[in-house]
Amino acid sequence: MPFEMPTENPSADGVVNVVDPKFTTRPQPIYERILHDFRVAKMIGMHSPILSRYEDVVYALRHPEIFSSEIDMKVMLGNDRPMIPQQIDPPSQVRYRKILDPQFSRQKMQQLDGAIRQHANALIDAVVDQGGCEFDAAFAVPLPCRAFLSLMGLPQEELELFLELKDGVIRPPVPPMDLIAAGEYRAKIGKRIYAYFENLVAERRRAPKDDMVTYLTQVDFDGRKLTGHEILDICYLLLLGGLDTVTSTLGCSIAFLATNPEHRRRLATGGPEVVNDAIEELLRWETPVTMVPRVLKQDVTIGDTTLRSGDLVNLLIGAANLDEAEFKDAMTVDFEREQNRHVAFGAGPHRCLGSHLARMELRAALEEWHRRIPDYAIQPGETPRVSPGIREVLYLPLVWGAGAA
Amino acid sequence: MMRLRVDSDRCVGHGRCYELAPELFGEDEEGHCRLQRTKVPPELEAKARSAARNCPEEAILLVEDE
Repeated sequence: MPFEMPTENPSADGVVNVVDPKFTTRPQPIYERILHDFRVAKMIGMHSPILSRYEDVVYALRHPEIFSSEIDMKVMLGNDRPMIPQQIDPPSQVRYRKILDPQFSRQKMQQLDGAIRQHANALIDAVVDQGGCEFDAAFAVPLPCRAFLSLMGLPQEELELFLELKDGVIRPPVPPMDLIAAGEYRAKIGKRIYAYFENLVAERRRAPKDDMVTYLTQVDFDGRKLTGHEILDICYLLLLGGLDTVTSTLGCSIAFLATNPEHRRRLATGGPEVVNDAIEELLRWETPVTMVPRVLKQDVTIGDTTLRSGDLVNLLIGAANLDEAEFKDAMTVDFEREQNRHVAFGAGPHRCLGSHLARMELRAALEEWHRRIPDYAIQPGETPRVSPGIREVLYLPLVWGAGAA
Repeated sequence: MMRLRVDSDRCVGHGRCYELAPELFGEDEEGHCRLQRTKVPPELEAKARSAARNCPEEAILLVEDE
């Protein structure tokens, strides 16, 4: 008998294949099986443990003293030092959040609403008369990058450079399984990211402006100023955290709405409250950031499995958001859901710093898009393609108007 | 009458409460919840319940008085 790779996902012994196209494009049925059969599943390759129940994931997120964020990720994202505050634990992490949260509050983010709607409309202008577009390249990629430049107070001419830098780190152009080449490429791009922000910090120290980097050079941090390294480690995170996540949420949301006309009509005609509820439900259902890693500081027993101190643990947020124990009719997409405590932005002290920015971008984008292009569909005969990891819909061909009829 | 309490040790600033019930919840400089009032008038009870139900940190407590 020839040996065969398990075709089931998860496999009979609980191994989850997260790069399987079935998982990346439509993970929900796979989450459902994981939740049903494996309280502790295993990651393909390393076989590191995966937690998926809502109660387990939330417990881990709220207990950083057990589930630490201080993971050695240098090789993965090209950074020389931990990104601040994502890759450090309380109590230091909390001190950084105290000076960063005010810069990312809802109030503060609302000031960007007009600029982001302008960016969105400029992108729609370019495609609206064409009767269709590839949504990722035309809208989902450039919008969050333009929003990031507005947030940072940087000129929009930097768009191409920032797209090159974040793509170089997140999707290095090397053969898929060549981890060494990928690491080298990321390290090279990482150096350029540090150099760019080092320059910017020097400029703002010389000539302060009313912007994010100037704030970081001036803010009082427990009676002292932030060091150059600290500022760079924050900027590195802002660049990597702010772009792909919103790109992916936009792509996943539009792909869902393109294939679910009733939901789309509800969102397009329901007014601001419906849009807000729809965004929360789409975040729950699609959970574009499917999982986050933690490293154990001590042994922990989950069900009848003991996880060991030092283990890397994967928190499968996407599955937690579909757990029937927390969400009534979890497998139904319901824009009128009365209780929705999804953890698409995480929970506990590391709650996504950019969640208010993300929600504002999503609201502006979905409102403007549906105001101008309320009806659209996936181009007949075409299939969207979704990346592993953060679920960017890399290929999303849409048609509308005469082409959609 | 219904009363509201917020456990500020649990609140991490998701902001669902001040989005869903701005009459009852505001935000401080860091985006954490700040109660606008502790007594909930009857016409806002539904909103108070909605905010409590949708807090991912379960930081909002509703107490029904006599």
